[in-house]
Amino acid sequence: MTAQRPAGRHTAADISLADVLPQVRLSGVSKRFGQILANDGITLSIYPGRIKALLGENGAGKSTLMAMLAGRFKPDGGHIEVAGTRVAFDSPRQAIAAGIGMVYQHFMLVENMTVTENVLLGQEGGFVLNLAQMRRKVNELSERFGLGIDARARVGDLSMGERQRVEILKLLYRESRVLIFDEPTAVLTPVEAESLFAALRSMSAQGKSIVFISHKLEEVLSVADEIAILRKGRIEGEFLASEVSSPADLARRMVGRDVVLEIEREAVAPGRVVLDVRNLSGPGLDDVSFDLRRGEILALVGVAGNGQQQLVEVVCGLSRPGSGHVTILEQDWAKFFQSRDWKGALAWIPEDRAGLATCRGLNLTDNLLLTTRQGFAQGQWLERGRASTVATDLVREHNVQPGNIEAQAWQLSGGNLQKFVLGRELYREPRLMVAEQPTQGLDVSATEAVWQRLLLARKTAGVLLVTGDLSEALTLADRVAVMFRGRVMGLFPVTDTAQVERIGSLMAGLKA
Amino acid sequence: MSPELVIALLAAAVQAGTPILYATLGEMLSEKSGVLNLGVEGVMAFASFAGFFVCHSTGSAWLGFLAGGASGALLCGLHSLVCQVFLGNQVVSGLALAIFGIGLSNFLGTPYVGQGTEGFSKIAVPLLSDLPVLGQIFFRQDILVYLCYALPVAVWFLLNRTSLGLRLRAAGEMPAAAAAAGLNPRKLRALGTMAGGFLCGLGGAYVSLAHMHLWTTGLSGGRGWVAVALVIFAFWRPGRAVVGALLFGGVMAFQLRLQAMGTNVPSSLLLMLPYTLTILVLVFTAARARGARGVASGAPAALGVNIEPEG
Repeated sequence: MTAQRPAGRHTAADISLADVLPQVRLSGVSKRFGQILANDGITLSIYPGRIKALLGENGAGKSTLMAMLAGRFKPDGGHIEVAGTRVAFDSPRQAIAAGIGMVYQHFMLVENMTVTENVLLGQEGGFVLNLAQMRRKVNELSERFGLGIDARARVGDLSMGERQRVEILKLLYRESRVLIFDEPTAVLTPVEAESLFAALRSMSAQGKSIVFISHKLEEVLSVADEIAILRKGRIEGEFLASEVSSPADLARRMVGRDVVLEIEREAVAPGRVVLDVRNLSGPGLDDVSFDLRRGEILALVGVAGNGQQQLVEVVCGLSRPGSGHVTILEQDWAKFFQSRDWKGALAWIPEDRAGLATCRGLNLTDNLLLTTRQGFAQGQWLERGRASTVATDLVREHNVQPGNIEAQAWQLSGGNLQKFVLGRELYREPRLMVAEQPTQGLDVSATEAVWQRLLLARKTAGVLLVTGDLSEALTLADRVAVMFRGRVMGLFPVTDTAQVERIGSLMAGLKA
Repeated sequence: MSPELVIALLAAAVQAGTPILYATLGEMLSEKSGVLNLGVEGVMAFASFAGFFVCHSTGSAWLGFLAGGASGALLCGLHSLVCQVFLGNQVVSGLALAIFGIGLSNFLGTPYVGQGTEGFSKIAVPLLSDLPVLGQIFFRQDILVYLCYALPVAVWFLLNRTSLGLRLRAAGEMPAAAAAAGLNPRKLRALGTMAGGFLCGLGGAYVSLAHMHLWTTGLSGGRGWVAVALVIFAFWRPGRAVVGALLFGGVMAFQLRLQAMGTNVPSSLLLMLPYTLTILVLVFTAARARGARGVASGAPAALGVNIEPEG
């Protein structure tokens, strides 16, 4: 995919020596947290009317950099200029006043308030609120930028995409000149993401500076004018999006080595049925039927909140099936969970890897024992020594950093924690594996490691992969099931290109 | 019961409900900004003494009333210090405040036990007080009751129609959003707590200056605890707080009348009535809130959750 942007506005040379005054300029900005140098001499210019993507792996220092621009942290070294004037922000308020606005990954919206109230917060202009006038202003802005938001709506009733547009409205209302988006597509459907990109282009065309933080390569290429790569707190490269030949090229520039995103899939012959769901209905589920065989990956795709959660809870034994039948490893649901074996049966990689999958205050050995303790039990006692040995092996085999089993779960980064959880669950040699959003928030190399493991797991298990990432589903899965409002809208092999084309509309509930 | 008696009972209910309404609205303000303050009982106890003391020594009922409010704000400033600066647990700090306020008022008030004060007397509102029934119930009260009629509207207006109210609610619902909008949610919470404490203090001073016209230990008589429960009953809405306060005022007045009339029911059972009602109300509210999912109950999303520093 290549970039689609107005041609001929800028050439490669003017990233560094433009005659245009940058809206924001960072010169040698550094920030240290204890032992860690989060930002190391960062120099970056942000120009009006352009979209700059900031690309980096987890922990590369993107968030720290943005927090300094938003006035939440002060730099330890270097300085920031806004429109040619040096500034030192003491608070977010000053950054807002200087025209810098942020859309955080976790929206900063009050769900219990209306759109108008959220937009107004901190910008009320007078003690007594003139709500009618404010609503009119908000509606006008929403129309002018084609955001389609009703000023009266309660934010809690809006979809994620709409909430994001409320965040954009906030910035437009404050007349921010620099709009910074932190992983804006993480919560959006593909269709919503497309309309976000359209909004970004329209704002950029009206002279706003846009900064787009992401680690999704395709979307960076499709929306950005220029790309800066952040690695280990330093800017490792800055170039125009048009200089990049392909996502693989960009991935190479990003991690500094080749990452195989086109994963080798060797075919595995499908074996016995390990999971059979027949006409399952219940809270959030409406007549769901599918089966899963050993040797295949079935991807369950859809916008979050369309029944995936409820389905996983039933399959993993957290909630009872309502009506219908669930057969796991050729046993009825109730029977299976009555006498479940820790090994050779069911393994689950929950979405919430830091909350459900692990206990943050326990070390890796104890976290290993969370799901495998029966394997280390001697009557009432646990063989902790053997558990430590196994934990050490797992950490080495799955390249978990830091490689110290005494480390507590919270000390690991998201990617390393996920690799550990995956290792632990594979140690149980499951025949049925449920993986929920296994690579959410992971960087490219961790994602690749997780994908390789899941593909390997097919040899002995059937894998139910619940994901919101379509490219992940299409890369890994043998078959895809699309969910919408608790129903399976379509179930087909990934080789069925005609059906695959329609996934987007199926996810939005369009059957035709 | 004769009609006269019923009217007298209802008039007494309005008066008994007034301090509860002051305190309920005060606690509501505090909770709307995200701070659970279980210390209302202590705040009211201390303020009822402070109000009495200032009125007693200056002779000005109004100074006494304001002193009650100020002492309430001061005590709640302590709660803010613990919760906003030192990030102490709000429940523990609130309970400590309750015990502290009651103890302090008893300690300082011992020499004055049983002494009376002029305080506020009843003023009949011209014209309105001549209305049949309603006039006798609502418009032959003291001025603080009339003030209290306007208070729910004022609190509603502050919360929903002013920038300060918007900011306070943001601090109670999602402090991070307030911070991202360039506000200081901790300061807002301190402000909400202290403004709420001021109202609770006014409620306490009402008891000694306008209701009982004297000082004695235990004057607040559990009204503070009732106020905390009423905020939940009211779903954090000022209008519903009025209903709750009148209901409780009614039960309190009724129980006093019954005792005065000398029924066979043991007085300890009668004294229990308001608290039995409190429990019933909480059970009822919890059941309703569950039916309507948490959001509809109106509890601020970040109520009782302290704001942790970043980084």
